[in-house]
Amino acid sequence: MATSKKILLVDDNPLVLEMMGRALNKEGFYCMKAISADAATELLKQERPDIILSDYHMPDVDGFSFRQNLIAIPEYKDIPFMFLTSEEDNDLMLKGINLEAVDYILKDTPLPVVVSKINNFLSTVREQHERTLKELSVAAMALNLHSVPQKLPVINGFEVDFWHRSYQNYPGGDFIDFITIDERYTFIVLGDVMGKKWGAWYFSFGFLSYIRAAVRICISEGNFSTKNILQKINDVVYHDPVVNDVLSSLSLVMLDAAESVITYSGAGDLPLLYYNSVDGNLQQIGSSGMLLGMLQDGDFDEVTLKLNAGDRFFMFTDGIIDFEGTSGKKTDYNTFVEAVTPYLNRPFSEFKRSDFLQEKTTDHIDDCSLIYLQKTI
Amino acid sequence: MILETNIYNKALIADIQVKEANLTVSDNFKNEMAALIDKGNKYIIVNFEKVMYVDSSFLGALVSSLKYAIANKAEIDVAGLNKDVAGLFQLIRLNKAFNIHASAVEAAINKS
Repeated sequence: MATSKKILLVDDNPLVLEMMGRALNKEGFYCMKAISADAATELLKQERPDIILSDYHMPDVDGFSFRQNLIAIPEYKDIPFMFLTSEEDNDLMLKGINLEAVDYILKDTPLPVVVSKINNFLSTVREQHERTLKELSVAAMALNLHSVPQKLPVINGFEVDFWHRSYQNYPGGDFIDFITIDERYTFIVLGDVMGKKWGAWYFSFGFLSYIRAAVRICISEGNFSTKNILQKINDVVYHDPVVNDVLSSLSLVMLDAAESVITYSGAGDLPLLYYNSVDGNLQQIGSSGMLLGMLQDGDFDEVTLKLNAGDRFFMFTDGIIDFEGTSGKKTDYNTFVEAVTPYLNRPFSEFKRSDFLQEKTTDHIDDCSLIYLQKTI
Repeated sequence: MILETNIYNKALIADIQVKEANLTVSDNFKNEMAALIDKGNKYIIVNFEKVMYVDSSFLGALVSSLKYAIANKAEIDVAGLNKDVAGLFQLIRLNKAFNIHASAVEAAINKS
């Protein structure tokens, strides 16, 4: 289900508001309606529109002042803004353009023209935005910064794979890593820095560096306890002024390929989903640890499981269990359980093509990451 | 303002005014919580009664506020979580970090 574009209509004339609202609704737009600039400001606190269409002439706060007020507020400044007016005065229009209003629409413009003007305006804004995003991504690539692996590890007797989509194509706070120690031991890392887009993405590298370092140091000291590794990472994050105000979840799995044993510890992460091929049961494997950096003692524990051929594991972040229902956004772990159940005896590549993950691609509301591990022989 | 506050008994009840507690409001929420703690409030109940959905950015802001509260010898409890949000708190163990109450007023009455 594609989300319809949200328009905030602002006009002191209830009739114009109603007529325009109905007409735009029919064209597939979702309209938020405000009778004054103050009412619009209240609505903005609850929902962010894709575009604002505001009347010029309104009592109390007029369209100009409303636009000026929005420019002064960083989170509202960038919402595309168009003036809706019956004025044909060039000076007024010029004044509007100077307020970064970018465009105006005359009220008596035929509706199909209004709709195409809005669509054109939105696609210009989107193209500009995508260009900027591409430039930033190119810069990140040039610095060789990746928060998900560029290739999969080869582990004797196991298949490992992952699926990842970032929020609105921005790099985000989810990070994945496979740390190969030797032929026997591989660490699987899945984290989610709380936040979205660039801010979270930036911090994901800080967390990943700490995690890689802690794993390597512990292993070099002969310490193979995922619980101890998590506590070490937690200590550093808790005391580091750069990242201690940023929180992250972490699922850490150590795979011992020689013994077919996994050891798992988690920090504020979602429970892993384990499919036991012997009895056909699907169960959640939970952990007790708190989010990284939240408390000095993260209260971490450790779960060890011996795997049989055909057993599968799924590790995932909250984007996988968030979805947009008829009554709004929801979070439900069971939606994933239900979606993956028909695929338990099929290759992971088929689940990657499933409607469930495809819909996450088109309509997801957060970063989504899913790691898959199967004992093959 | 994301929060509307009322003093009740020894508690300050902070009602979240939005239906979707997400990235767009998380920074403001964090700043408003910090201001409440700076004013010397020692027991704040964050009321989620109006909230239908919480994303990880907002949870991050809530946990950050808790850390700030602890550093300032203040307490933060939460109340009025709907079934989904309560489920999420439990899934990621936030129920161990926060006292969770069915209603904010009940929590305020029970605070001795």
